[in-house]
Amino acid sequence: MIRKLIQVEFLKSKRKGFWLLVFLGGFGVVALQMVNYGVRKEYLLQQSDNDWIYYLMNISNFTPLALVLGIAILTSFMTSIENETNAWKQLIALPVSKLTVYLAKFTVLAFMLLVASLLLTLFTYGYGVFLDLGAIPYGALLKYSFYPFFASLPILALQLWIATVSNNQAIPITTGVIGVLPSFSAQNLPDWLIWKWPSLMNSWNEPIYYVWLGLGVGCLLYFVGMFDFARRDVK
Amino acid sequence: MKYVVETKNLTKSFGKEQAVQSLDMKIAKGEIYGFLGPNGAGKTTTIRMLLGLMKPTSGSIQVFQQDLKKSRISILSKVGSLVENPSYYPHLTARENLEAWRKILGAPKSRITDVLAIVRLSDVANKKVKGFSLGMKQRLGIAAALLNNPELLILDEPTNGLDPSGIIEIRELIKQLPQSHGMTVLISSHLLSEIDQLATTVGVLTKGKLIFQDSIEAMRKLAKQNISLRVSDQDEAHRLLLAKGIQTDYQKDRLILSEFTDEEIANAIQFLVQKQIAIYRVEEEKRSLEDIFLQMTREDQVG
Ligand SMILES: Nc1ncnc2c1ncn2[C@@H]1O[C@H](COP(=O)(O)OP(=O)(O)OP(=O)(O)O)[C@@H](O)[C@H]1O
Ligand SMILES: [Mg+2]
Repeated sequence: MIRKLIQVEFLKSKRKGFWLLVFLGGFGVVALQMVNYGVRKEYLLQQSDNDWIYYLMNISNFTPLALVLGIAILTSFMTSIENETNAWKQLIALPVSKLTVYLAKFTVLAFMLLVASLLLTLFTYGYGVFLDLGAIPYGALLKYSFYPFFASLPILALQLWIATVSNNQAIPITTGVIGVLPSFSAQNLPDWLIWKWPSLMNSWNEPIYYVWLGLGVGCLLYFVGMFDFARRDVK
Repeated sequence: MKYVVETKNLTKSFGKEQAVQSLDMKIAKGEIYGFLGPNGAGKTTTIRMLLGLMKPTSGSIQVFQQDLKKSRISILSKVGSLVENPSYYPHLTARENLEAWRKILGAPKSRITDVLAIVRLSDVANKKVKGFSLGMKQRLGIAAALLNNPELLILDEPTNGLDPSGIIEIRELIKQLPQSHGMTVLISSHLLSEIDQLATTVGVLTKGKLIFQDSIEAMRKLAKQNISLRVSDQDEAHRLLLAKGIQTDYQKDRLILSEFTDEEIANAIQFLVQKQIAIYRVEEEKRSLEDIFLQMTREDQVG
C-alpha cells in the first residue's frame, strides 16, 4: 500500500513546481558562490591554504538557509494539494490507513530534499572542479552536502505536522519563516534548537552529532505528528 | 434483519453542542435510503462518521455487519462516497484525478473510462479540473464514488450545483443502481422532492435527532386525505353533522372532514342533502410529502 500511496503522491505533485524548487535549492546555493568567486576569485583564494575546504565553507554558509526555506515551502505545497479543495476527506474515505497517508507524504518530501542534496553535491563538485582548487576532498564534499539533510529532519517532521493539522495555513508559513532566521546567526544560539542543527555548528565541534540527533529527534517528531494526525477528525 | 448500515446510539458532540444525538440508523440491503433534514441537522456529520472521517463521541457503527472501528479499511474498500462539496486536485486532469484514487482502490484502469462515460465527462477527461464548472466537478465526484463499484454508495447532496437535466440524469443513474449492481445507496438531501421519486426508505433528521425512519409508503400514509366541503349554510351543516356524531373542522369558508372512509363521506353528504343543504363543492385536499416533512421538522423545533 505504501508504494502505491507514494506513487500517488508523486502523481499529485505534478505541475506543482516541486522539482523546479528542488533544482533551485541545490543550484541556488552554488550559484551564490559562482557570483562570489566570479567577482573576487583572487582575493578568496588568498584567504586560506586549503582552497577546496574554504570553498566548501562558503557554500555551507547558505545550505541551511536553502534547506530550511525549502522545507517550509515544500511542506506547504504538499499539504496545499489536499487543503485546497478539502481533498483530505476524499483521500481518507478510501481504504487506506491515515498513518500510511502521512508516511507517504513524509517520504516524498524527504526524497525531494535528498535529491536537492544530491544536486548540491554535483553542482558543488562541478564548480569546484571548474575553479581548479586542487585535490578534491570527497569526504568533506559529501559531509557538507548530506549532513545538513539529516540534521534538518526534525524541522521537516515538525513542519509537516503543523501544516497537516492547522486549519489556518498562516501558522505553518509563520513557523517556517521564523525557522529560517537561526540560519543567519547559528553561532549565538543554544545547541538544542533544532533550527540551528542544519548549520552543523555545535559546541562539541562534532557535526556528526547533529546527524544522529537529527535522525533521532526527527523520528520522534515524525511519530508524534503522525499519531496526532491520525487521532484528529479529518477536515 | 441484516442491515448494511446499522448505528446504535450514535452521538457526536462539538464542545457542548450535540450535532448528532443517539442515532439508530438502519439501512437494509438494496435500499435507497433518503436521508433528509434541514441545514445543520447533522447529515454530513453522520456521513463523516459512517466513513470513519470523524470519531463518534459515543455509540457504535456497523457496516456490512462489521464494526467500523475495527474493520475500517476492509469496509471502505466496498464503499463509494461523496461528502459535501466535491474534492479534487485542480491542477490535474479529470482522468489523472480518478487515477490517483483508482490506484489506492486497486480498481482496474479501464474503470476510469467507464465511470467518466457514466457521468458524461468523457469529452473533458484530459482537461484540468481547475476549469470545470461546479456541476462538472460534482459529476467528477460521483464518478470517483463509483470507481470501485461499491456495495454501499454514500452521496451527500449529490445534486448540488447540477442543472435540472443533470439532476434528472443523476437521479436516473442512482435509481437503477440497486437492481443493476446490487448496490445499497444512502443519499442525503434537504429537499424531500429531490428524493421523493428515488428513495425506498426515508430517515428524517432534525437537530441531530432521527424523528422518522420508515418506508416512503409509510411516509405517504401520513399524508392523510382531508375532504373539504363548501355548502350553502355552513353553520347549520356543522351543527347537524355534530348532532349526528360527525366531527368536522370548521374553517372560514369550508368544513373539513379528516380520516373518513368513502362510505362515511357518502353518508354525511346524503344526510346534508336530505336536510336541504346545498352542496357546492366536495374536494379532496392532499398534503404533499413536502408539507409533511416541513411539518415534522417544524413540530420538532416547537417541541
Ligand atoms: N467540525 C465541526 N466543528 C464544530 N461544529 C461542527 C463541525 N461540523 C459540523 N458542526 C456543527 O454540527 C451541526 C451539524 O452540521 P452538519 O454539517 O452535519 O449539517 P448538515 O445536516 O449536513 O447541513 P447541510 O444541509 O447544511 O449540509 C451544525 O450545527 C454544525 O455547526
Ligand atoms: Mg451537509
